[in-house]
Amino acid sequence: MTDFVIAMGWVGIFAPMALGTIASAIGCSIAGQASIGAMLETESGYGRFVGISAFPSTFAIYGIVIMFTLNRAVTAENAGGLFGVGVLSGLALMYCGMWQGRACAAAINASKEKPEIFGLSLAPAAIIEGFGVFAFVFALVISAGIA
Amino acid sequence: MSDPDAYIALVSSLPSSERLFVAKQPPLSELRLRKRLSALDEDDAKTLHRIEHILSWASYDAQAEIGEVVKRARSLLRNLPQPTLRAIVADRMELRSAIAALRMRRDGMAAPSGQWGFGKWTRHIAANWSDPTFRLDAPLPWLREAGSLLEAGDALGLERHLLEIAFRQLQRHGGLHHFDFEAVVIYVLKWTLFDRWAASDAQAAARRFAQLSDDALQDFPDLMLEGGTG
Repeated sequence: MTDFVIAMGWVGIFAPMALGTIASAIGCSIAGQASIGAMLETESGYGRFVGISAFPSTFAIYGIVIMFTLNRAVTAENAGGLFGVGVLSGLALMYCGMWQGRACAAAINASKEKPEIFGLSLAPAAIIEGFGVFAFVFALVISAGIA
Repeated sequence: MSDPDAYIALVSSLPSSERLFVAKQPPLSELRLRKRLSALDEDDAKTLHRIEHILSWASYDAQAEIGEVVKRARSLLRNLPQPTLRAIVADRMELRSAIAALRMRRDGMAAPSGQWGFGKWTRHIAANWSDPTFRLDAPLPWLREAGSLLEAGDALGLERHLLEIAFRQLQRHGGLHHFDFEAVVIYVLKWTLFDRWAASDAQAAARRFAQLSDDALQDFPDLMLEGGTG
């Protein structure tokens, strides 16, 4: 039983990194497909579209930072805490990344015809980024209490 | 429900459907549209073709029996897994049934019986045949204006009114679909409406031109064409 609990602790340490990477891969793929489609329909501004497609890549970075913060010797006492903080923060990052990809795709699709709304159309993606930052910061804060 | 991210690149490569109706020149030719649609997977392409086939009058014989039309629509609806697409086809067929009823009544026909149309209103319409809107004011508020245009013999006005209704129906169904197969079908159906809209515009322009030239020639009754004078 102790071995299982310790294994869960390791899962918790690596989960933010793995789930954050999944988030970035899916999010960038969704936004990237939109930018490729928009390039077919527009004559300029390709760089902007590619730039937006890279927005969801931040979630992989958050995941890596949380992983390093949680990384410590796993014991039966701290495994539960590591598992809870790691898996839940990873899940939060994953959903934020996937949905930010969709928000970026919508922004690209809208701004390809109305370049003047380019900045405003990024607001939903920025708000989702804010939620991801909440999950990231409070994972760091709460991990300080794990022995 | 289709994969919500299935056709992100395809949808993003199409000009917005709102632009279709305000552009002086079509922002997307049929050739380019069909080229972009080649990104659809095989099953989805077949489904789109079947929906277009059912909703396009050009695909019916002039002598097509109403029973055959209804049978084809029902067969399509049975095999369509997407609820939104089923609702779109059903709405359009119901719209056509209501307009067919208005035409039958204008031509002095009695209330139809049996399988004369498609959808949930057919019996209701037959039962309220003498009412101007078949007592469907609440569910089909556009019916009154359509009836007035039909009675007035304004074929072009009626055509544009119906295109507007069909466009609004598509807008309503498209609210939850951004990058999935339903979004692609809705776009193509809007494009088809735009195509008909543009054609009706051209017809209106031709009629207006003929009327203006008739008016102008009336001012010069002695004018002979081919350079002669009367």
